[in-house]
Amino acid sequence: MTNFYTLTRTELVEAAKEFKFIWLTLFFVILGITQPLITKYMDVILENVGGADGITIDPNRPVPSSAEVLLSTISGQFNQIGLIILIISFMGLIAADRNSGMQDFVLTRPVSLRSYLLSKLMGNWVISMFSISIGAAVSYGYTIFLFGSFSFSNFLLFVLLYSLWILFIVSLAILISTFVKSPILIAVTTIAVSIFFILVKGFNHLLFQLSPGGILNLAENQLLSVHDLNYFSIATCLAFILLNLSWANRNLKKS
Amino acid sequence: MITVEKLHKTIKKRKILSDVTFSIAEGECVGLLGPNGAGKTTLIKCMTGILQHEQGTITFNSNPIVQHKKNIGYLSQLTDFKPWMTCEESLLFFGKLSGLDKGFLKGNISAVLEEVGLKDKENYKVDQLSGGMKQRLGIAQAILHQPLLLILDEPVSALDPIGRNEVKKLISRLKKRTTIIISTHILDDASEFCDRYIIIKNGKIVGNINGEFQKSDRKQILVKTGNVPQTSEALKSSEVECVEWLSPNTFLLTGAEELDLKKVVNDFAAKEMDITSIEFYERGIKEIFLEMVSDT
Ligand SMILES: Nc1ncnc2c1ncn2[C@@H]1O[C@H](COP(=O)(O)OP(=O)(O)OP(=O)(O)O)[C@@H](O)[C@H]1O
Ligand SMILES: [Mg+2]
Repeated sequence: MTNFYTLTRTELVEAAKEFKFIWLTLFFVILGITQPLITKYMDVILENVGGADGITIDPNRPVPSSAEVLLSTISGQFNQIGLIILIISFMGLIAADRNSGMQDFVLTRPVSLRSYLLSKLMGNWVISMFSISIGAAVSYGYTIFLFGSFSFSNFLLFVLLYSLWILFIVSLAILISTFVKSPILIAVTTIAVSIFFILVKGFNHLLFQLSPGGILNLAENQLLSVHDLNYFSIATCLAFILLNLSWANRNLKKS
Repeated sequence: MITVEKLHKTIKKRKILSDVTFSIAEGECVGLLGPNGAGKTTLIKCMTGILQHEQGTITFNSNPIVQHKKNIGYLSQLTDFKPWMTCEESLLFFGKLSGLDKGFLKGNISAVLEEVGLKDKENYKVDQLSGGMKQRLGIAQAILHQPLLLILDEPVSALDPIGRNEVKKLISRLKKRTTIIISTHILDDASEFCDRYIIIKNGKIVGNINGEFQKSDRKQILVKTGNVPQTSEALKSSEVECVEWLSPNTFLLTGAEELDLKKVVNDFAAKEMDITSIEFYERGIKEIFLEMVSDT
């Protein structure tokens, strides 16, 4: 337990020294503001761009609700461009330690592989959720300011469930970095696999529910105030995280 | 102290180590020699418990090695630390992971930094250190918890002559108080301190030789001549079975039995050969190592 604490702390201190907390947070705040801003002022923007003769805006189109704007911010922005940047920030996660001999120095101490991997998971999840939460909170405030109120508890529940999805993504990056050594390849593969899990939704709904992406659906439903909620997705997601970690554990022991 | 028995290791379906058996006694300094890709690093990682092996046993004082992580200090072939940590912070980090208490660490870190000659660098960031300094910091983290056994994987191979000397001097000092295993593919790097050599090639042990080892069975004579002598056939006699040319005017005579130096000299004098030197040929560890790892 003390080892887990020492290792996790080091991950966090490292992130602080690299200003990761600052730039990642700034990035998510900008993402969180852009979507509501663009949605609100689309007409003004198009008018000013000029020459947009082909595009006509229905002056009577319905104003989107806060829930819809939040949904497009998080599912659209955070979970696409945001996720990609997040994964790129993970790519050195295990690769750097592995390629520098740091990992060997740690593992020859009385430190279990389990606490080593868990500290990587915890450290990077905390960094990600710090930035995402602040970005999402700013987005929430700005959205209700522009588009009217929305239940804060539902929003909180949403962030909580979304954080499980992020936990899964970190565990996936950890697993993949036990297979490949090059940081770029780790990022590309992790991005590809996570996009696959997001896209499964379109192919087969049952498969989606059983995949780690199911948690995204559950999270989004918090914003849409759907009643028929599938809490089973939480268990599925946790199971996948466990699977990723034990697989990574096995890979590191073998080579 | 440490015993490896019938060790087998396969990585990604490729056999890296097969049937490796040896043991090392307390106080010894053993060189693990082998060409690039022989499996030295893999063997060491199995011995430190970083890698799991599928067959065989590794024991430390008769117990499984995993129970003895506290007694082993290890320097990996790639030695780099978190670049943002200072020397002192790095050692504090590893010390905590070794379960050492803060009070002990405080005093011991400065003692260890002194030992490796980095006393004045304790507040330097790792990325301000030279290769030799990093290597010495690597040794510092390996001896921090006062292990009984020190395993160093290629401690000097990547360094320039100055760094090499610094690290070698340090190892010579450490040798006096701990058991050491040093892996290298360059014999000269180990010959100053090793008492014994284990030679590994293609994942198999091909030699286990004492450091004092000099093979001189008086069956071979090394001859250098001024003028270029005749053909091999002319050099052979009833005792000399084989002639091996090492250079145009140096050759090695090998007999079935012990050779008589006097007789050979007289024989050559009769043939009017201009001999500049003649001696029994002694093969040291260097020649044996090259013989064992060469492919012929
Ligand atoms: N993780 C791995 N994946 C695939 N092959 C590996 C792995 N680790 C080692 N090998 C292979 O095992 C063999 C032995 O490697 P090892 O690093 O143990 O050699 P070495 O004797 O330490 O060589 P060097 O002198 O270059 O350090 C090599 O052929 C290497 O390609
Ligand atoms: Mg090696």
